[in-house]
Amino acid sequence: MIALSSQSVLRRKLDTIANNIANMNTTGFKSEKMMFVEHLERNQSDNGFRGERKLSFVRDVATYNDFSEGAFQKTGNALDLALHGDGYFTIRTAAGERYTRNGSFTIDNGGQLVTNQGDPVLAEGGQPIFFSPQDAHITIATDGSVSTENGPLGKLALASFANPRMLKREPGQMFSATQPPTPATQARVEQGMLEQSNVQPIVEMTRMIQVQRAYESVNKMISREDDRIRKMIQDMANQQVA
Amino acid sequence: MRSLSIAATGMEAQQRNVEVVSNNLANMNTTAYMRRRTEFQDLLYQNLRRAGSTSSDAGTIVPSGVQIGLGVKLAAVYRIHEQGNLTATDNTFDLAIQGKGFFQVQMPNGDTAYTRDGTFQLNAQGQIVTHDGYLLQPNLTVPSNAVDVSINASGEVLAKIEGQVALQNVGQIQTANFANEPGLQAIGSNLYLETPASGNATIGTPASSGYGSILQGFLETSNVNAVEEISNLISAQRAYEMNSKVIQTSDDMMGTLTSLR
Repeated sequence: MIALSSQSVLRRKLDTIANNIANMNTTGFKSEKMMFVEHLERNQSDNGFRGERKLSFVRDVATYNDFSEGAFQKTGNALDLALHGDGYFTIRTAAGERYTRNGSFTIDNGGQLVTNQGDPVLAEGGQPIFFSPQDAHITIATDGSVSTENGPLGKLALASFANPRMLKREPGQMFSATQPPTPATQARVEQGMLEQSNVQPIVEMTRMIQVQRAYESVNKMISREDDRIRKMIQDMANQQVA
Repeated sequence: MRSLSIAATGMEAQQRNVEVVSNNLANMNTTAYMRRRTEFQDLLYQNLRRAGSTSSDAGTIVPSGVQIGLGVKLAAVYRIHEQGNLTATDNTFDLAIQGKGFFQVQMPNGDTAYTRDGTFQLNAQGQIVTHDGYLLQPNLTVPSNAVDVSINASGEVLAKIEGQVALQNVGQIQTANFANEPGLQAIGSNLYLETPASGNATIGTPASSGYGSILQGFLETSNVNAVEEISNLISAQRAYEMNSKVIQTSDDMMGTLTSLR
């Protein structure tokens, strides 16, 4: 049973590794790691005579996000933004406000600055940003203020969190938060760049090999245990006959 | 085994990536071709243990639960409308737009298509047409006795008639702007159609505010950067391989299970 608990955990670990590798080239993706704990259970048949013996099971207690910064790639697109330092763009989705490091934005038919899923990117004050068709040159300064040759349009709302561990993953490289954010002061916006995924393929590959080997060794143990019990039963039976 | 299907989504996404890169490379020398880029998106997360659920009688709260992602999908393939380089061809009816704007082309079915490919010619009636023979809008006819045609930055077409000193103004080329250029639908032959995503075309005079100016005797090259595309190709191929390794590993793990007994 103990071995089984470890096997199911190893499988889930492989799932997170697979998801990281699948998102190797996903803009603004943050890789996911897993934590395990020992789960102690009192042995039922123990009457405390020889002190308490406990059985130790494995349980995956949490996945946590690795928020380290990914590499920057130059794209030459004026509406591609990367964030340097701690901070998130604020996006308004149907499900509420979301936070993301994926700055591949575009303009919709109403001239609104949106993500490639069509959700508006918010400026400070919770308002979206609108461009007019006459705006040819869009400049976004390092502090997130957006302007064109026809004047300033607003400043992107950059969010920061006291405890980024509390952020919950949502599809589309977005995160949802339970606490309201504070304005990010450390973040610098880089125009014409995108932050790539921070998945380190080499690390993921080695973790995958470890998982596989651990899985195999647990398997070996299960089959050895199986043999042992079988042999014991056979011996007992033989003794009975004798 | 979730990891099998997760890795499969990864392989599929990288295959699309390679397709887009190869199309960019194939169109390296296509006049006014705009390079495409793939954008990926992670999929839903399964909550195996919810963040914020209580973990004891004392009401302790789980700080971050177990969330397992289900892979990746293609979010968008979008065009980067960055100005390409201008090359001199010295051809009378080769026009390039420097800045924003599209030429308007009248399709045989009466629709208007938009293009930045300014390789125009004259047809038998002396009208300015694309190399497919589609009329440039507004229609312009160059008189048959013209010896030379010059087109200035604001799109005025001036013909030099034999025996006349003054140039004759034949008409005015007008260009169209869109709120969201990547929202235009590409229909091949360097032509684009208006969509709800692009917004309506706003027609204007070249070289006026917000509209690019026209250069005669120049063409806009594609904005594909070969070095960038090749490096994208390499990273797509490697990512594809790594995802296939994950599939192999999942398979091996299932193999050890079946070998249990």
